[in-house]
Order: sequence, then C-alpha cells, then structure tokens
Amino acid sequence: MNIPSELKYTKDHEWVKIDGDIATVGITDFAQSELGDIVYVDVDTLDETVEREEIFGSVEAVKTVSDLFMPLSGEVIEFNEDLEDSPETVNSDPYGEGWMIKIKISDSSQIDSLLDAEAYKSVIGA
Amino acid sequence: MIFIENEGNTDPHLNLALEEYALRNFSVNHDYLLFYINESSIIIGRNQNTLEEINQQYVKDNAIHVVRRISGGGAVYHDLGNLNFSFITNHDGKSLNNFKKFTAPVIKVLNNMGLDAELKGRNDIQVNEKKISGTAQFSTGKRMISHGTLLFNTDLGEVANALNVKMSKIVSKGHKSVRSRVANISEFLKDPMKIEHFRALLLEGLFEESEPFESYHLTAEEWKEVHQLKAEKYDTWDWNYGRSPKFNIQRTKRFTAGEIDLRIFVEKGYIKEFVIYGDFFGKEPVENLENLLHGIRYEKEDVTVALKNINITDYFGDIQKDEFIDLVYGED
Repeated sequence: MNIPSELKYTKDHEWVKIDGDIATVGITDFAQSELGDIVYVDVDTLDETVEREEIFGSVEAVKTVSDLFMPLSGEVIEFNEDLEDSPETVNSDPYGEGWMIKIKISDSSQIDSLLDAEAYKSVIGA
Repeated sequence: MIFIENEGNTDPHLNLALEEYALRNFSVNHDYLLFYINESSIIIGRNQNTLEEINQQYVKDNAIHVVRRISGGGAVYHDLGNLNFSFITNHDGKSLNNFKKFTAPVIKVLNNMGLDAELKGRNDIQVNEKKISGTAQFSTGKRMISHGTLLFNTDLGEVANALNVKMSKIVSKGHKSVRSRVANISEFLKDPMKIEHFRALLLEGLFEESEPFESYHLTAEEWKEVHQLKAEKYDTWDWNYGRSPKFNIQRTKRFTAGEIDLRIFVEKGYIKEFVIYGDFFGKEPVENLENLLHGIRYEKEDVTVALKNINITDYFGDIQKDEFIDLVYGED
C-alpha cells in the first residue's frame, strides 16, 4: 500500500498536500482500492467555503456512492475537471493526476490535527 | 438489529427521506433494517441524467414519481409489487462494496422459499438467469446504507414503458443504465402469495439471522424532520432533475422553412448555452431567442413560458411555435 511520507492524511482516507495556504486533496491508495472502479466524482462546493469535516462532494464506484469530507476548513478554489472525463485516474494515480480539489486554507492551525503517514498507516492497519 | 417501521407509507419521496434520515441520525451503536414499498415511481441513480433514463411523456401521463436516490447505480422502476430492503450499518472497511455480505441473508430466505436464488455479477440477485433484485450502497463517514429491490409481482410491462427513453442525442458524463432481463419472484413460487406475506416471511427470515430484533416507531418529532428532509430535497426539481451531471444536447430538424440546428448546454438543470444554427430566413436575429432561453430551467413548461410573447415566424419563417418548442425539448 502506497502511503507517501511527505503527505498528510485524515481518518476518512484522504490525503492532503500543503503548499503555503493552499491544500490539495485527494483520496488515498487504500481508499481507491477499497472502492474499486471509480465512475464518477461529484464536487458541488466549488467556490464555497466549507468547514472541516463537512461534505465537499462524493465519489461513485460500481453502485457505491461515498461522501467526501473537508480535511481542513477553507474555500474550495479548484476542482480537478479532468476527472469529469476520466474518473478512473483516481484509481490509477490517486496521489498525482487523481487529485480532487484545492482549498484555500482559512485556519492553518488545523494542519497540526492531520495525520502523518505513520499515523495513517496504523488507521488502516498497514 | 432494529427494524424501522415505515408505517406503511408508499410515497417514494417520503421513504427515501426516511432512509437518509435514519442513516444520518440514528444511533451508530445499532444496525437497522428498513422495508419500504413505493407506489409507481422511477428511482434514479445518484449520478445519472434523469432525462436519459425516463420516458417523460409516459411518466407524466401516468403520474409516475421520479425521484433521485443517494446511492449509486442505475434507474429502477418501483411499484406496489416491489419490496425494498435497506440495511443501515457501520462500515468497518470490509462492508463497503461487499454486496455478498448483506445479500446473503436475503438469498437464504429466498432459497428457503424454494427459489434457486444466487448473487450474480457484483450485485444482482438472479433466479434462473433472470434478475429479481438489484442493489446499491451509500456511505458517509462511519455509516452506510446497503439496499436493494425485490421484484415480487411488479408490472414488468410498465418497467419497459416508463424507462423507454425518448429523448436521445444527449452527450453527458452521467452513466446510463444497463438493461437486464428481469423476472418476478412470484413466477417462481409454487403457490400464490401476497406481497404482504412475502414481506412477513422475509422479515422472519432476517430475524433468525440476527438475534436481538426489535421494532422502532419514529416519534412525531422525528417524522417532522423526515418530512422536512423530504420537502427540502426529495420533493424538489433541483434534486430529482437538476442534479444531473452537465450535458450537451444537439437537436436538428428540417422544416419547410429550412433546417434548424440547436446546440444546448445544460448544467444543474439550467440552460447555460443555447445556440441556434440553420438555413432558415427570418426578419429578426435569433440571438434574441437565445438570450430568452439562456439561464432558464431545461423544462418544457419553462421554455414555453419564456417564448410566450414571441412571434416565432419572425425568426424562422413558416413554422409553428409548438414545433419549435418540441425541438427544444421533446421526443426525437
């Protein structure tokens, strides 16, 4: 199971890459493998400010829809529109081309509450 | 496991609201089971384009409800001959996508009734190569719904009528339903049985599978909140139709006055782009029409209202307004 050490994680199986006050968010390798073939990524919160742990969208994989949660509070400033044409990228490259949204972080103190790779590893029992 | 009493409601808008309400509000310390039977309705998958799934005229003429659900998969037809079962549980990282786990007790009950039922593909229950049940899931945080249909004595002719799509040429990212060969459970029973009896047998069978079992009746306050969720979500055009993935539609028709070629882009149910091409001659610029239709709901009534004060021959020559409206929004 691929868990890059430079990323942060949540218990909801999302990864977060911090770059200044911008966070890029996707789902982990574990999450995509558990879900199976992803057929649709739905983000309906673009340009909205959403609180941490609130829902920012959902992902559908073979008849299973799962909600996606904000890892940090902030404004959803970008959605990876390439996923509209090729949602399967989330399966093939979850930490790269399969990223889902970018957030403008509103409270950087929340970053400390994210999990590091070691802590996430123990969440999934890897 | 706790059995949630839906009190015999057959309104699909209400039953889907009850299911989501229970998922989001009931105690995470229990598993729940909900049964519901809906009057004639089409239940659309979460990420489907409603217009690509239904026969609109038929649905309207026969007062068939159209309701979007929160789980994945394709459109299904429900009527009073179809029993829906829904397990609301925690997901332990193993239950997600594990259709085998929650269909197994249902299949066992069907087997005990003498049916040769088995799980086929990822999530269909089949008897003699025919689908009698389709299933889907939805998860949010720690909780999930695993639900399915059970065709007992549904009017299968209506399934074909209601889902016979008349509006084609839509290009969208929504995934279209795959049609399966279906059958009713009643066809495979030696002795005739009413759906109420089948429902009781299934409940009894599932009861044996899971030891402590009690029934729960929602409080008046809880029902109030269910009705609120129904009104705010499951009753709304924005959810049932508008929530479709964005799509493009091209519609072309030759009239005596010339050919009209429309390119329409619809997002969240609203017309975001509307361009008219063609070789007709009119004395007014079609940009006026494009501007009138831009931003309205992609619905026949809304298009009709928007064009109310328009003299259509000013734009296209000799065509009827109804013909133009049917071209914008109608069957092929």
